[in-house]
Amino acid sequence: MQAPPVAAVPRDIKIEQLSMVFYGRGEPVIALDKIDMNVAAGQFAAIIGPSGCGKSTLLRLVADIMQPFAGSISLGGESPRLARHAHSLGFVFQSPTLLPWRSVKQNIELPLDVVGRGSSKRSTRTTKDLIDLVGLNGFEDALPHQLSGGMQQRVAIARALVLTPDILLLDEPFGALDEITRQRMNLELLRIWAESGTTALLVTHSIAEAVFMSDRVYVMSARPGRVTTIIDVPLPRPRGLAMMRTPEFFDCVNRVRDGLFGNEQGGAPARGEPIEAY
Amino acid sequence: MTAALAASHKIARASWRPLLTGAVLIGLAEAAKHANLLPVFVPSPSEVVMEIWNSPRLVTENLAPTAWKSAMGYFIAAAIAMTAGSIAVSVRAVYGPIYNFGVIIHSIPIIATAPLLALWLGTGPQVQIAIAALASQFPMLVGTMQGLQAADARQRELMHVLSASRVQTLWMLLIPSALPYLFAGLKIAAPSAVLGAITAEWAGADRGVGAMMLYALFSYDTPKVWLSVFLTCFLAAAGFGIWALIERLVVTWQRDVEIAD
Repeated sequence: MQAPPVAAVPRDIKIEQLSMVFYGRGEPVIALDKIDMNVAAGQFAAIIGPSGCGKSTLLRLVADIMQPFAGSISLGGESPRLARHAHSLGFVFQSPTLLPWRSVKQNIELPLDVVGRGSSKRSTRTTKDLIDLVGLNGFEDALPHQLSGGMQQRVAIARALVLTPDILLLDEPFGALDEITRQRMNLELLRIWAESGTTALLVTHSIAEAVFMSDRVYVMSARPGRVTTIIDVPLPRPRGLAMMRTPEFFDCVNRVRDGLFGNEQGGAPARGEPIEAY
Repeated sequence: MTAALAASHKIARASWRPLLTGAVLIGLAEAAKHANLLPVFVPSPSEVVMEIWNSPRLVTENLAPTAWKSAMGYFIAAAIAMTAGSIAVSVRAVYGPIYNFGVIIHSIPIIATAPLLALWLGTGPQVQIAIAALASQFPMLVGTMQGLQAADARQRELMHVLSASRVQTLWMLLIPSALPYLFAGLKIAAPSAVLGAITAEWAGADRGVGAMMLYALFSYDTPKVWLSVFLTCFLAAAGFGIWALIERLVVTWQRDVEIAD
């Protein structure tokens, strides 16, 4: 289980002046407005913001699921499309998104079936290691409909780790889990991330989770989606639960909270208020 | 072996209620006939069974032609409907036209087209095969079209992020998601093929359950009419049942989707 996995190729995420517009009925909706982001290779970054701020859209643009309206995304100098074709991207969706006819084991191995079992991207962790890791021993042959929602999401996380992604995109992956499992999964995720050198981008609703996990937190506002604040988290790694009691941790949490809601006393910009930075 | 045993137990558990209901209804009909509660033209179930006993060749000689003609038409329809459905889903421009064409064929009154087709195609089995195909195509077309679109957007995105090829996506995602819908279409279409073939036999056929039905009607032989009704039900139910069984063995992860047209 402790065998060192295949190291990821270091890729940074460089996002410049990225905008996304949705045309529906009525007025076009500006989902993302001139987003700039810079996540160094091997860094863990979190995006936090209110619902509808376009953070999921941003992740899907990085994953080449959608094409941007304007601006550019570079993943280690390559376009998202090239990175995707190189099987460099891992994506964990909000919902487990398992294939209902595949057993737990077969769902975890889906990326191997697509990429080929001999792929150089294949993690040295065996399927059994991954099942151990997400605590699903004895459920190898169960079908998804026999599992609880939290167990299904753990299968989805194991599936994202069966290849070693250069860039791991996490769209509120633990939202459906109970607090205990969530904390355990976070710790495991951090351990795997530290081992593999993967660049990670996490979308979350939880301030504590954003701070606990990442080196840098991007705070976004809604309608139009903009990055309002960038908070660096200088907390030492490896991080454990004890760190969550330190004043440094609370300081970071408070700074993210101020970024999200504005400093009420100080009259800093509130959520949704336009910030003219250009 | 144990799997087969388990499956047969499952089938026994699932079928004892309908079997019991049928037995009770038949018993009631028999009793009602003996108590003279039923009109003259309704025979008792035992009289219908006696028809099979008295002339078994009547059954075999008429059941077999109808069965193979229905099956032939049904499989031709299945092949065409699944091909057309797949094309409709992959080429957006022809989706509407193919669907509408299916609806129009489905709306044609078979009783009127059977004689016309007999004029065009001659009076051989080809007419019954063609009518069986026309009568059964629609559920299979709709099943294919709905089924191939059944995979949800997240699942498609998952395959996309994995950079799966079109063939991989088809094989690993689209076809398995389509199976419950395909089976629903295949099940619903089977009785339609049998009814289509029988209706077509009315327009001219020397053998077949439909021909037997017609002769029996014209000679006021009510037990034989009822026998032909029974044989029709048997064929239609068998066609449905075979697919229901295969579905049970293949689709273990999901039950009973609805086909909405």
